[in-house]
Amino acid sequence: MRRAAGAPLIAAAALAQVTWAPKFEVGGAFPNLVLLVVVGVTWTLGARAGMIWACIGGVLLDLTSSGAVGPHALALLAGAYLIGFWTRNLEHASPVHIALTAAGSTVLYSAVLVLTAGLLGQPTPEAGVALQLTLAAAAYNAVLMPFAMELLRRLQALTHSAPQPS
Amino acid sequence: MYNAKSPSRSTGLFLALGAAMLLLAMLSQQPWAAGARGAARSAFAPAEEAMTSLAAQVDRVTAVFGDVSALRAENVRLRNADEALRRQIVELNAAAKENADLKAALKFEKASGHRMVAAQVIGLGPDGFSRTIEIDRGTADGVRAGMVVVTGAGLLGRVREAGPHSANVQTLADPQSRVNVYLSTSALQGTVSGGANALQLEVQHGLGVTASNGEWALTSGVGGGYPRGLVVGEIASVTRRDSATTDHAQVAWVNDPTSISFVLVITDFLPS
Repeated sequence: MRRAAGAPLIAAAALAQVTWAPKFEVGGAFPNLVLLVVVGVTWTLGARAGMIWACIGGVLLDLTSSGAVGPHALALLAGAYLIGFWTRNLEHASPVHIALTAAGSTVLYSAVLVLTAGLLGQPTPEAGVALQLTLAAAAYNAVLMPFAMELLRRLQALTHSAPQPS
Repeated sequence: MYNAKSPSRSTGLFLALGAAMLLLAMLSQQPWAAGARGAARSAFAPAEEAMTSLAAQVDRVTAVFGDVSALRAENVRLRNADEALRRQIVELNAAAKENADLKAALKFEKASGHRMVAAQVIGLGPDGFSRTIEIDRGTADGVRAGMVVVTGAGLLGRVREAGPHSANVQTLADPQSRVNVYLSTSALQGTVSGGANALQLEVQHGLGVTASNGEWALTSGVGGGYPRGLVVGEIASVTRRDSATTDHAQVAWVNDPTSISFVLVITDFLPS
């Protein structure tokens, strides 16, 4: 996927996440579109591309929330890095694998967000609430991830680009 | 699937980017960086506003298809009208309970005499942990951090951070939000906090009175965080805890941030 196509995609995902996505709330959770894009990019283009887009998408999300700029980027970055490790050792990726990485990334994303908030001296949610929201978001993102992956593959085919080496 | 050639290169990039983002996070929350942070957020605000407008248009277009959508919209309109009427009843009942005409008149004057700035909602919080909304008014319009934000139905939240032309509002649904309230019938005091699905209320025990379903929770003004008398929500369920000093209740909030278009910022009240 070309970088020129990636920039509008991640910007659109960030904007949709702070305008459309909360309308589809289930059990207190709503889709994390930027995380889905980052996970998808990591699967298709590799960990390095995933980490770079994680930072860009994360900073965009930070600009739409209050407090420090950087926690969302850090939270997405950790997921992209770990997915990169797993994909290296996997022969054939199935939709289940991809969904599992979305769920795992969501858990990691939430944990890093809470930890970063604590580190920066910002208020953190109660453990029970955080756990409930995290599990609901993980399940939600896992269900959506195979569809997001298919969409990314089609976009990649449209841009006629070969995977970039990391 | 893509197989990376060098795990160590990825690790190096991860460490470099991680350190850069952590440094950015620490620097950007310094007081001296507030201006730059606000300006960056305000620069992003027009894109959010355009996207929100687009989302609203899409919602309108999709609402045309099917009777279910039309009925749902009508239901929302009627529910809003019902909420507004019920709010009036609750406020009137609450005022009557003060048992002093003069006090009630003063309260009414106080309630209606606030200066307010109308603002449009241009975005919502990016994650479940921070239930915030973004509005299109900022310091240039007199909006400051700490100011209280309401809608026609009742209390929405508080301005957490304000840039020149946009501001971030922490809603009551935010898990970190806390509001001191009293109940309209039993007059019991309590604290409402945000939650995943509904607002949570810890009600203090009172002699001979208990909280019950259908009671309304209004801001008590205790602590000086919010003006007294703003409607928060209706008690949906109460869990009695005889062994504790408080009962637990769930509150049906009068506001739904995902369906709000306009809000009012009270500009002449700041938390003490």
